[in-house]
Amino acid sequence: MTSVMVVDDDQDLAEMLGIVLNGAGIEVDLVSRGDEVMDVFRNNPPDLVLLDVMLPGLDGIEVCRQIRAFSQKVPIVMLTAKGDTHDVVLGLEAGADDYMVKPFKPSELVARIRTRLRRTSGELASNLTLSDIAIDVLEHTITRGGKEIPLTRLEFDLLVALAKEPGRVFTREALLSEVWGYRHSTDTRLVNVHIQRLRAKVEHDPEYPTIITTIRGIGYKAGVSGTRGH
Amino acid sequence: MRRLKISTGFRRSLTLRVLSTTFVLTTIVLWVVGSALFNRISTGVVNEKIKSSLSESTLAVYSAQFRFSSGGTTDDSLKKIAQEVVNAKKSIKATDSGREVILIRSAKNLDPVVDIDTVSNRVSYSSIPIELRDRLLNSSEPLWAQSTIQYINGAKVPGIVVGDKISIPRVGPYDIYFLFSFESQTHTLELVKRYLFFSGFMLLFLIIGITWLVIRQVISPVRAAAKIAEQFTAGELDKRMSVSGIDEISKLGNAFNAMAVSLEQQIKRLENLSRVQQRFVSDVSHELRTPLTTIRMASDLIFAYREKFEPSISRSAELLQSQIDRFELLLADLLEVSRFDATEAAMEITSVNINDLVSRCISDLTLISLQKKVVVNFENSSTISIVDVDSRRIERILRNLLTNAIDHADEKPVDVAVKSNDSAVSVSVRDYGIGIDPNLVNRVFDRFWRADPARARVKGGTGLGLSIALEDAHLHNGTLKAWGKLGEGAQFVLTLPKKVGGKIDLEPIEIPFSKL
Repeated sequence: MTSVMVVDDDQDLAEMLGIVLNGAGIEVDLVSRGDEVMDVFRNNPPDLVLLDVMLPGLDGIEVCRQIRAFSQKVPIVMLTAKGDTHDVVLGLEAGADDYMVKPFKPSELVARIRTRLRRTSGELASNLTLSDIAIDVLEHTITRGGKEIPLTRLEFDLLVALAKEPGRVFTREALLSEVWGYRHSTDTRLVNVHIQRLRAKVEHDPEYPTIITTIRGIGYKAGVSGTRGH
Repeated sequence: MRRLKISTGFRRSLTLRVLSTTFVLTTIVLWVVGSALFNRISTGVVNEKIKSSLSESTLAVYSAQFRFSSGGTTDDSLKKIAQEVVNAKKSIKATDSGREVILIRSAKNLDPVVDIDTVSNRVSYSSIPIELRDRLLNSSEPLWAQSTIQYINGAKVPGIVVGDKISIPRVGPYDIYFLFSFESQTHTLELVKRYLFFSGFMLLFLIIGITWLVIRQVISPVRAAAKIAEQFTAGELDKRMSVSGIDEISKLGNAFNAMAVSLEQQIKRLENLSRVQQRFVSDVSHELRTPLTTIRMASDLIFAYREKFEPSISRSAELLQSQIDRFELLLADLLEVSRFDATEAAMEITSVNINDLVSRCISDLTLISLQKKVVVNFENSSTISIVDVDSRRIERILRNLLTNAIDHADEKPVDVAVKSNDSAVSVSVRDYGIGIDPNLVNRVFDRFWRADPARARVKGGTGLGLSIALEDAHLHNGTLKAWGKLGEGAQFVLTLPKKVGGKIDLEPIEIPFSKL
């Protein structure tokens, strides 16, 4: 059974989240303080973390950093009462994969959690290469010269989405739909921040990217720009 | 063009205005005074000359009369005396000025025994005005007139002619004329004139200089005050005038500074007040979100099981659900407005093709437009108009304009158009529905303003949509303009600069009757 750690200091909301997620067949661990998260996490690693930004003890952004330092793989979805760019971008930069702005619909939350837990690209060939990077889809690892580059699940999904159709230009909206499972979202901050994070890990020089390139006015593609695939 | 420049410079600069006024007035005064002075002097000099000429000629006549009476016995001796009388300058008080003498037979003397008409220095007879000769006929007194002394060689000198009668034994009555030159007087007057001009110019420059100094003393503090006031207006509320002394200017400075202090306090107070208020709105919105999330989820759960309840509870669950939706929208809009008020709205800039953005918004609204039986016409043109914008905000504007148009279209089509030029891109949304009163058209951007209060509830919406749209447009340095006419529909035009912080030189689409 899937287990989700819910970190929120509002008891009623946490309880309600528990009811909704249990109803969807998801087991829930409730944590109400930011500084208690890591203890629970180490003892009983969940499949996904739902993390409120405003927390007593330690704020959500910092908690997010600590989790990422411990585990690259676990998906983190931030819950925020603020839709402000500043908070959202901080959370994403700290390693969150996605965020939900309160108030959200329970169905939306469940769908979002399922997307993040989905095993991606199972039907794909087990190996892809992009430039000098080898992608092992089954193992969920990427290596350069035999050396593994640690990626989060989302970063991995993003890279695979681009790499499986090299040369194709993806709009940000297409990536949002492909990787995040959003049908009608234009919150390009999600894409931008994660592309930056991914580049920081895989590019030789993130200032002059050659593996994931920007097509001005349209979006991104895998490979060097110049040959525009349609 | 140049005249315009000078006249605007004239209107702008007090210094220039005062200096030119001073210049004109001083010139006039100096001219009048100088002319009067010169007239006085020249009259005085001329009169003096006339006086001296008269007395000189009187003496000379006496002397001549005496010589003719005592010595003129023969024709030759008469001629000799005549020569001596005419040329005897030294003998009778010949002063600095030259004088000529003409001895000429009187008009009464019809039959002279001998002709002794004589002139000195080849002076011409025409030097004597005929009018003077005529008057002399019937006069017992010596007479004078101003004239020009003419010589046979053509030289002319201004002067005075004094005529008198002389009686010569045997020959009869003769006229004797003394011609006094004004040459030295003219010379003197010329000098006087030159000095007058010179001192006039000196005075003029002095006065202009003094005026300029005075203006500077008065104007420079005024200029400083203006500069401080400008800085103050620009938001540098701590700017004050430096005050020294106790004159009128420093009074101005003190008054100005007192005003500045009072203004600064007021502004700070209001700023603080408004900050507290915005903070409060923002905090309230945030604080409401967490409980609203719980309510939302509880309501969703209840809503999902509504069919298991009895009808009244089931209906209540539906109402609860729809009102929570509305509440959520209102809260989101309220938060957005408070963010604008606090000028905290941040932009997330990306380059997008505006045509794609418009197409997507239209297709997102397909369901609503089908429900309302409205056809949305938009031709996605092949030209790509790339703009640097916060696509979330622009999409929000477009969705708002489109929803509005569809809501008010009255089952008539809605026309959407995109046009661009070098600097900007315009999107126009036009409906042919119920329209807006042209006098109220710009009030649609007011918060919570409803064109038709009776129908507002049915239409839904938060009443903040267009005001947020306008703020979003302004955030991009863009414009959002509205046009409307009752029964003919409404048009909204969003214009955005292509580059961040760019300027709109010309709006690619203009609204029919711009009121802004």
